[in-house]
Amino acid sequence: MTRAPYLFISPFFVLYALFMLVPILVGIALSFTEWTGLGTPVWVGFRNYTELFRDPSFWTALGNTAIYTVVTMAVVLPLSLFLAMAINARGLRLRDMFRAVFFIPVVVSPIVIALVFGLFFDQQYGLVNALLRAVFGFGGIEWLTSPAWAKVVVIILVLWRWTGYLTIFFLAGLQNIPRELYEAASLDGAGDIRSFWHVTLPQMKPISAFIAVTVLVSTAQIFEEPFLLTRGGPGEATMSIAQFIYRAGFERQEFGYAAAGGVVMFLAVFVIGRMLYTSLGIGKAK
Amino acid sequence: MSTRSATPATGRAPAGERPLPTRRAFLAGLGAVGALALAGCGARSATQVTSGAVELGLWTHDPGYVTAFQNAAASDALMRGSAFAPRIAPVSANGGDLVTRTITQAVAGNEGPDLLGIIISEFPRVMKSQMAENLFVDLGGLVTDIDDEVLRTAPYTRDGTVYALESDASISVFFYREDEFARLGIDPGMETWDEYLEAGAMAFERTGQAIGSVSNGDNTSIFNSYLQFLLQRGGSPFSETGELTIDTDESVEVLEFIRRGVDSGSLMVIGDPYGAAAASALQSGTLIATVMPSWYNLYGLQANAPDQAGRWRMRTIPRFGAGGHIASNLGGTGFAIGLDSPRAEAALDLLRRTYLTKEGQLLRYQAGGYLPTLASLYEDPDFVGIEDEFLGGQRVFDVFREAARDIPVFYQSETMQQLSAAMGAPLLDVYSGRMNAAQAIRATTEGYLQQTRQAV
Repeated sequence: MTRAPYLFISPFFVLYALFMLVPILVGIALSFTEWTGLGTPVWVGFRNYTELFRDPSFWTALGNTAIYTVVTMAVVLPLSLFLAMAINARGLRLRDMFRAVFFIPVVVSPIVIALVFGLFFDQQYGLVNALLRAVFGFGGIEWLTSPAWAKVVVIILVLWRWTGYLTIFFLAGLQNIPRELYEAASLDGAGDIRSFWHVTLPQMKPISAFIAVTVLVSTAQIFEEPFLLTRGGPGEATMSIAQFIYRAGFERQEFGYAAAGGVVMFLAVFVIGRMLYTSLGIGKAK
Repeated sequence: MSTRSATPATGRAPAGERPLPTRRAFLAGLGAVGALALAGCGARSATQVTSGAVELGLWTHDPGYVTAFQNAAASDALMRGSAFAPRIAPVSANGGDLVTRTITQAVAGNEGPDLLGIIISEFPRVMKSQMAENLFVDLGGLVTDIDDEVLRTAPYTRDGTVYALESDASISVFFYREDEFARLGIDPGMETWDEYLEAGAMAFERTGQAIGSVSNGDNTSIFNSYLQFLLQRGGSPFSETGELTIDTDESVEVLEFIRRGVDSGSLMVIGDPYGAAAASALQSGTLIATVMPSWYNLYGLQANAPDQAGRWRMRTIPRFGAGGHIASNLGGTGFAIGLDSPRAEAALDLLRRTYLTKEGQLLRYQAGGYLPTLASLYEDPDFVGIEDEFLGGQRVFDVFREAARDIPVFYQSETMQQLSAAMGAPLLDVYSGRMNAAQAIRATTEGYLQQTRQAV
């Protein structure tokens, strides 16, 4: 009888232990070893970590990831909010269609997206350069082979893929703001801009904070976009931290080194996430 | 009915009632369940099958190999005298994933593939720390007596032991549009690259057409463009013992050749040499010649430009002025046998019959156009007489025979991936003229030392 409650709650804990705790702990332990994936891991202490912090590729990947994260936070969030407000405008027809259209990029297979973007941004035969040639008379931009432009294309892909998705969240938040607040602001003489600053933004704070943390955590672990579009190239110009870890583990059989990268990434994302969480006051009672 | 408050803090239950497990006991129980679950993953049997009907797990990225092995297993002539009656159970996945799964299955103590197709660029992953030795059967016994006869064993060799047999000789030749060459007045019989670059520059100036291509796509594609020419020139990225050997005259010459070719327009720069950009270049007639392995005829030319049937021809690759070969190599897939497979003997038998007999090689050529890997077959009448309709009825083995006699040796290293990562950006700088050959080699060497964490 007294064991019954434990039995009822045990499935979660068993699965959590097997598929979360065990892998995490094994990963941390692995980061102190040298292991190719077969045979017995050899204990190397903190060597993987010291080599990681001396590895220029790691810093390149970290820098790239920081750029992706900052740009995404700085552009995607405001853009999503702007689009949500546009869709939320009174009298807009086909609102549901717009909502569906904005949602589509996130459900399309990333492989298809990467293929299409590869075709768009191909230097010789790409649509973008062809358009530039037709309209402006030049169009030889090395979109995917110049280190700077390749980053831009990855960022464009991230923006295209995630802006619409986040718009849906903002839209849900906007639709929950009571109309009376805007009416009261209007009676007090507030225009559209003042209403935005003093009604919309404060009311949207909880959902904005949630979206900000979600975007931060997911962008800091960005993998699909640069991997499928450029494989991290040219050179390592678009390689992210997650890709660096994948390369070490699954292309070079350096699982200890990859695990060390994973631990560092986890700590960085966790700490920054917590800081954002605290600074935005998520979960705090009003 | 017991309640939480009725239970002492120690977790002991009142007399007559079953004790409530402590938190520590609960966690220990969880751990035991987990350990049992994990242990259950590792059960396997290792009794070797020595005869009779047997199902062989074939892991490959290419359905053509499935057809080839299925045809071989079903062929009475090929299987005559065999103790086994194999049936193929294919598993298809991405080439990299197959190697990863093979390793993880071995770590978990589960059965892996009986026959594994390893893409050549994935083999370096198992060259580390005797992984190949622990995963695959040593195939030395199959090839020792016919070592000179079997082509391309070096890329799948580790410490002198062969772990996979190449499926396709993947001989690189020079494909060209006969009609366009005639229109532009380019003699397809020219001997050297110098002559071709001159003719290519003229063609580009007149019509914007190119007589070759190099890739500016991902690092691997970029590196492969260089590698194919380097091997032809007589160089190699690594020595037999795995030392980096790119700082050579051959390497400098190849980089300068690429630079001259791109600069003059003779060599076109294409992102993905097997993708949409290459297809557009072929279909539009912008790319009228290219150095590519034999399989490019089927998977590149015929797939992307079927309406150009009869207009393409092939020949051996023009020579570099300072020496080298008239052939090169690119790509390939080696087949290995799982070391712990209880069906290893049957897999070995099928592999030998399919890959090291004339009948097997004919079946493979018919199934997927896989070029023979036994040197003597390039003189065999059954192959020599083959004509290729897409190439205007050309007797292709007249070219392949000549090329097969002069195939360069290609050694791989466990740090091949690091080299391709280090070389991508410098090669792009060579294309654009931002670096000369010497600078690119220096940058690559420094990058390689960093990638392999040997830099001071």
